[in-house]
Amino acid sequence: MSLISETSLLTARILRRWSSDAATVAQSLLFPAFFLVALDVLLGDGVERVTGQSALYGSVPLVSLIGATSGAIIVAVGVMRERDDGLLARFWVVPSHRASGLLSRLIAEGVRIVVITSFVMCVGLLLGFRFTQGLPQAVAWLLMPAVFGMAFSAVVMTIALYAQNTLVPQATEVIAAVMFFFSTGFVPLDQFPKWLQPFAEHQPCSYVVEAMRGLSMGGPVAKPVIGTLLWSAGIAAIIAVPLAIGYRRASRRD
Amino acid sequence: MTVGAIPVSTRAMPSTVQQWWTLTTRMIAPTLSNGELATQIIGSIVFTVGFYLPLKNILGAVQPMSSYAQYLTPLIVVQAIFFAAVSAAFRSAMDALAGINRRFRAMPMARLTPLAARMTASMYRCVVALVVALVCGHIIGFRFYGTVWHTIGFIVFALLIGAALALMGDLIGAATKNPEATAPLLLVPQVTLGLTSVGLQPVERFPGWIQPFVREQPLSHWLNALRALAGDSTPAAPAVTWSVIGPALAWVAAFIVIFTWLHAVVARRP
Repeated sequence: MSLISETSLLTARILRRWSSDAATVAQSLLFPAFFLVALDVLLGDGVERVTGQSALYGSVPLVSLIGATSGAIIVAVGVMRERDDGLLARFWVVPSHRASGLLSRLIAEGVRIVVITSFVMCVGLLLGFRFTQGLPQAVAWLLMPAVFGMAFSAVVMTIALYAQNTLVPQATEVIAAVMFFFSTGFVPLDQFPKWLQPFAEHQPCSYVVEAMRGLSMGGPVAKPVIGTLLWSAGIAAIIAVPLAIGYRRASRRD
Repeated sequence: MTVGAIPVSTRAMPSTVQQWWTLTTRMIAPTLSNGELATQIIGSIVFTVGFYLPLKNILGAVQPMSSYAQYLTPLIVVQAIFFAAVSAAFRSAMDALAGINRRFRAMPMARLTPLAARMTASMYRCVVALVVALVCGHIIGFRFYGTVWHTIGFIVFALLIGAALALMGDLIGAATKNPEATAPLLLVPQVTLGLTSVGLQPVERFPGWIQPFVREQPLSHWLNALRALAGDSTPAAPAVTWSVIGPALAWVAAFIVIFTWLHAVVARRP
């Protein structure tokens, strides 16, 4: 068996488990949907009055990212459970490529995030969100949360692989909350206090939101897309070795 | 040799109070070392600045009170207490999953002692949440303007809300037996009710179709009552009258009665 076929087999296993868990699927789709409607009801008018543009072009990307990150924590806790049940150790003794276990998890995360983003997009379309830039831009829009979301998932999974207690990966929710509150998807940049604006402008969540705003409504695209890719690549570079070592340790239980 | 009934003099005579206290410390002691307390405190701080800094300009201008801090702090208090209830749900689900509730049932112990211990631990979390939220509120500019009795009323009412939400969280945890799912499950009502309440902006600012919901949902009634009890330097705060406090108390009482009853139903399940 090759790396590709093994990885796709394991990816399919994770996705099948995810899709057969009706409660998790409903929760990971319905929560973003409710959240988007509530956010639009709360701030839609206010933001439109300040900026002259619909708030949806920022809030739909923001809510997609929230769906991506909150799901990452559930997935990471699932990996801890498979470690503790000994499933990872069983996979380790099967003659398959060492990278297939980790790769399949990251690919499954990407698929999961694209599914959530598509769903949030549909809710957004009902509320009045539109693509005006063309099909290639719309496809790129759909993939943006997955780019950063996979990097975030890798971080949460690394933390989970080293943690004994599921409270630890759940604490990453706090980091995610900081990124969402202080992002340009929540309120426009000029609404933040002066001293906070540099953070709000350059943190990864804002880059993703601005890239998606440009790809759907029009406006600058290159700079925020590059920012998103740099943040994601930077996180991936830092996390790759600890993640691989952590997965190996969890699989060998030593 | 025959073994008869154990003589009364050597039988264990457990005291319910002692059992309750042992089980309570079992719930509270780990929060100091496993990061739960720290997460709760940091979570409250993040929610305070996360609502206050981005929304101060855009929504501060449209609310009637003397400052946005005065307007926002009741929501921060309720959100912090909601977090405490989520922790309660998590612990309760862990216990249900580990089967310790079944073991307790086989022990010479009153039926309600484990629930009473969990509720005591939940009230400890609520007190922590309330203190942290009030410190956060004080820093951004929230003050009590009412009489001493109003301030005491604020604290007691906030803890009553905490008891109601903790009962709800504990029930969901015990019923689902899934610690990982409870927190995201409770996030749905916490966030959606929080955003569509009078906590961040007055009801008139919402689109017309959702205004009846915003006005009548429990969180809005609770926030109005807390705002009335906290008062304001201007006459813009709601007055402390039965028409403000009454519905808020009725919602809390309804929550407590319904969730206590459901607890009895879940506890009877084999």
